[in-house]
Amino acid sequence: MNPRWKVWLIGGLAAAVVVAAIYFPILRRRLQKASNAQQQSEEQARRELTQALAMNPSEPRVRAKLFWASDSGDGTLLPVTAELPLSSDPVLRSKQVLNTLLAGPVDPELRTLPPDAVLLAFYLLPDGTGIADFSEALATSIPSGIQSEQMAVDSIVKTLEANVPQVARLKILIHGQEVETLAGHLDLTGTFTVNTKPVPAQPKPAPAVVAAPAQAAPDAKKLVEAPAKLTPGTTPGKLAQPEHRP
Amino acid sequence: MVLDPAHGGTDSGARGTGGIRESEVVLEFATQVRRALELQGFQVVQTRQDNENPSFDDRSAKANAQRGAIFISLHVSSTGSPGTVRVYVNSELPTRADSSGLIPWERAQAPFLGLSRKLGDQVQTLLAQSFRGSPAAAQAAAIRQLRTTAAPAIAVEISSVSVDNRANLDRMATGVAEAIARGATAFKPSYVVAVTGQGAAQ
Repeated sequence: MNPRWKVWLIGGLAAAVVVAAIYFPILRRRLQKASNAQQQSEEQARRELTQALAMNPSEPRVRAKLFWASDSGDGTLLPVTAELPLSSDPVLRSKQVLNTLLAGPVDPELRTLPPDAVLLAFYLLPDGTGIADFSEALATSIPSGIQSEQMAVDSIVKTLEANVPQVARLKILIHGQEVETLAGHLDLTGTFTVNTKPVPAQPKPAPAVVAAPAQAAPDAKKLVEAPAKLTPGTTPGKLAQPEHRP
Repeated sequence: MVLDPAHGGTDSGARGTGGIRESEVVLEFATQVRRALELQGFQVVQTRQDNENPSFDDRSAKANAQRGAIFISLHVSSTGSPGTVRVYVNSELPTRADSSGLIPWERAQAPFLGLSRKLGDQVQTLLAQSFRGSPAAAQAAAIRQLRTTAAPAIAVEISSVSVDNRANLDRMATGVAEAIARGATAFKPSYVVAVTGQGAAQ
């Protein structure tokens, strides 16, 4: 190899190193941006999913009571009345009021729940036990402490109590899982009493039954009657203990 | 007397913007409370001495293994008016002893709630005298640590890790220790356990 060749080779390699040094950070940034965008769109999708169940403007507007922090700073809650088009279905109604609670009051200082927390699901068992499944942010973004954690749970329980008479007690899940505490203090292993005298939930007849083919009529009839079994029983579910009364 | 400095180890508890960690502050408060209690003639055990993090059950076990224990859990919150102190007792639990007469571990606090409330009110009254703006009576909350404790049990929460200067918190230690020691002393005569077959079953 003659010296000229060597110079060309070294020059070429040096150029490649320089190009790589410039290109790699750009590539890395682009990758980061792409993964951020994906995360954001996931968050967005989740929000949209929960928002889709938000208000239906055709529902009659009712006076809803939402419990946020009072401005005294002593850890007490204050009900705020808002006219909202709430559904008469207890599950939808629970989702609507809890989403409004999560959206927060006009003054962000009076929030009781972290702004990035999302309600993932809400179920109502036949015995009146409501199950609210929140995203992990409810546990991770809340300021740790007995007072702050109790305010969060209290605002959820009181808001349900004031607006959804069918919910007797509430179980709180974090991302589908039962957790020991909210953020190190407040006990989430039991249920919280919501309404001591709950109104029985009226189970809706399944629409699928109406659309059943004619030859399946006898079975369909059975199915129509089936929801009657869903009327609240007196025996509390396995989730009902230990019970906390906030 | 079982003193429980909350959190510890990898769990630092509440954290202030100024870097104040609940787990560290409560350990120092515990030293002062311990001294004040010993001056009143109490024998004191701590659920942790150092920066470790025993489980809720391990902490409860320290009290459940003895007869006539009193359990006090120390906390510093992220919220609340700085310079105030709140006392909490566990919210109501259904009392259901099983056929053996033992108290189920997961509801060990149930038969002691009345006593806990009495102790909590005594301590809170004294705290309200020293720390203006503190509530007049103990409050109820579903506190995981208290639920499995088979003894009169309270949680004392000091506000807050959000103070700019750590000295503002440290200054409260003497007053808190004094109130707890005097409250516990005033409570002692009413600590008569009427329930037979004491002790919790795990």
